[in-house]
Amino acid sequence: MDVTQFLTIFISAVFIYNVILSRFLGLCSFIAISKETRPALAMSLAVMFVTTMSSIITWFIYRFLLIPYNLTYLRTISFILVIATFVQFVEMVIRKISPPLYRFFGIYLPLITVNCAVLGVAVLNSEMFFANNKAVAGSFFYSTFQGICVGLGYTLAMLLMSGIRERLELCNIPKAVKDFPLAFIIASIMSLSFMGFNGFKF
Amino acid sequence: MKKFINQFLKGIIRENPTFVLALGLCPTLAVSVSVINGIGMGIAATFVLLGSNVIIALIKNKIPERVRIPCYIVVIATFVTITELTMKAYSPALNRALGIYVPLIVVNCIVLGRAEAYASKASVVNSFFDGLGMGVGFTLALILISAIREFLGAGKILGFTPIKSFEPAFVLAMPSGALLLIGLLLGFFNLIKREK
Amino acid sequence: MQNQNNLVVSVSPHLHKDESVSKIMWMVVISLIPAGAAGVFIFGLTALWAIILGVVTALLTEAVLQVLTKRKVTILDGSAFITGLLLAYNLPSRVPFWLPVIGAIFSIAIGKQVFGGLGQNIFNPALVGRVFLLACWPKYMTAYIAPLRYDAVTQATPLAALKEGKLIEKIATLDLFLGKRGGCIGEVCILALLLGAAFLLIRGYISWHIPITYIFTTGVFTYIFGGKGLFAGDWLFHILTGGLVLGAFFMATDYVTSPLTRKGQIIFGIGCGLITSVIRLWGGYPEGASYAILMMNAATPFIDRYTKSRVYGLK
Repeated sequence: MDVTQFLTIFISAVFIYNVILSRFLGLCSFIAISKETRPALAMSLAVMFVTTMSSIITWFIYRFLLIPYNLTYLRTISFILVIATFVQFVEMVIRKISPPLYRFFGIYLPLITVNCAVLGVAVLNSEMFFANNKAVAGSFFYSTFQGICVGLGYTLAMLLMSGIRERLELCNIPKAVKDFPLAFIIASIMSLSFMGFNGFKF
Repeated sequence: MKKFINQFLKGIIRENPTFVLALGLCPTLAVSVSVINGIGMGIAATFVLLGSNVIIALIKNKIPERVRIPCYIVVIATFVTITELTMKAYSPALNRALGIYVPLIVVNCIVLGRAEAYASKASVVNSFFDGLGMGVGFTLALILISAIREFLGAGKILGFTPIKSFEPAFVLAMPSGALLLIGLLLGFFNLIKREK
Repeated sequence: MQNQNNLVVSVSPHLHKDESVSKIMWMVVISLIPAGAAGVFIFGLTALWAIILGVVTALLTEAVLQVLTKRKVTILDGSAFITGLLLAYNLPSRVPFWLPVIGAIFSIAIGKQVFGGLGQNIFNPALVGRVFLLACWPKYMTAYIAPLRYDAVTQATPLAALKEGKLIEKIATLDLFLGKRGGCIGEVCILALLLGAAFLLIRGYISWHIPITYIFTTGVFTYIFGGKGLFAGDWLFHILTGGLVLGAFFMATDYVTSPLTRKGQIIFGIGCGLITSVIRLWGGYPEGASYAILMMNAATPFIDRYTKSRVYGLK
């Protein structure tokens, strides 16, 4: 297990291959929910939790169920079912423990199921940290860490974007580009500036 | 018959999933680097849409309300898996090019969105044409975007370089360029809509 | 009774009249003239062409877009002039004519007008244009000409040479300071840049907070991590090379895209310095100033939010 590998995963997942600005995963929620900071923060934290946990659970399923029984073609179905179940479970728990928190999240919680970022990172882990149907050394830790970092990258992009869009609320934007088109253009400039970290070598 | 044709055309222009409904943008931007990739993804997504819309319309009365979303997901995931395996077997190059975005069709907002908003309420035939229209609309949007990106970003059309002295703007082949293009296109379509 | 929450009262500088905004812009233009003149002297007339094309295109683009969107045409306020000028200053001295043209159009259209014009853009327009050009046509944006030769012989910038491990002999500090090196038109002559910056600082048009913290942070970071082993970095080299001085004094200080409060500005400067140093030392690109400033531009709304001073009377 390599310490620099963790640093590389961090820089890649958060900056260079930022899950939203570079891999385009989670775009729908990004454009829709980044208008205000509070919902953006809530969504980001929820997504980070789900990506981390589902990275862990799907790793186990892939490693101990799908590979040994030659069922890797069931990857997509099993992963998405796991995620859907997990999100449902989280929803139930939050509702029980803290009704105000549940109300705060509102519809954002079930929406995480179809957030491309969650399924995306699970699939990415299975491709990056398994070779020839065997787990590479440290695979579990890399996968979990990548789950966390993808959540961090998502949070970073969401927070920056929400800060910007809140400020633009007070401005006089040309009508044709108001809302969605401008949000994409801002994302494009952010993506361009994050490219500054390309070729990172520690 | 006319009703079905209308249903079909609706998905292409008036309710184009990409430019009007702003759904399914994740794969659109990721995959539209070349027209061939765009067409490949479009066909795959259309197949899944057709399959899931029809099956869901068939069994909509048998699904309990509370677990309907997971049920839809299972149906969609099945068709996606079929598509994935078929692509791996018959077109491995395309499969490699599209990468993780093939399994991600399962969470493509268009597919689940149509299942929830339409197929769960309409007849099988209507759902079929709706799925067909949306799929074709999506494919056409993909072709438009990939054509622009491939030509301006890499100087190629369908893999061939027509004008040798053209200096392509590489940024269009990158994520940033894709986001920029979508922003400009959405703004452009907004402008047209308002002029009407 | 107007909703008090919509009124944002910020710390000075308060700009009271439209004319004074314009006056400040033109003062900045004047302060940039020495750097441009030095660039033309060092690299020849092709540099002058790039500058003229950049400025004229910027002005035209802004005028056309303002007419099309039925807004007031404000090209005489100096802001488009500055954008065109700064964009040109960030280009190598020998570029195809269409490069500054497309860059200026992009800077004004996407970097500024799409946000609604002056005062509303989030990102520094000139840097948006530069980063766009660098991504589109890296070949042209990284072909630098040797200084004082007035021909087409290329010479890598000191930072590029360093990154590729080809910096065998140390470049004289005086050469770095006066501009006898490869680089962009407006970034090489530190002396000229400092003259202009001193003018702006003395007249109070910019404050020292952002540029000094930016440069200081970069120096400290590269001193600690920039050499073999700790505390052995050549911080003077890093301060004098790349677009650091140009960026710190003239682009990071842009009122519209940087924080309003002193505390916020210091955070901004430190952030820029950290990112620039990290990219220079460990990133794939030789220089990171443009990217650093753009990233901190994106964070500015956030910085402003959490460093806003409390308004008397509101909770």
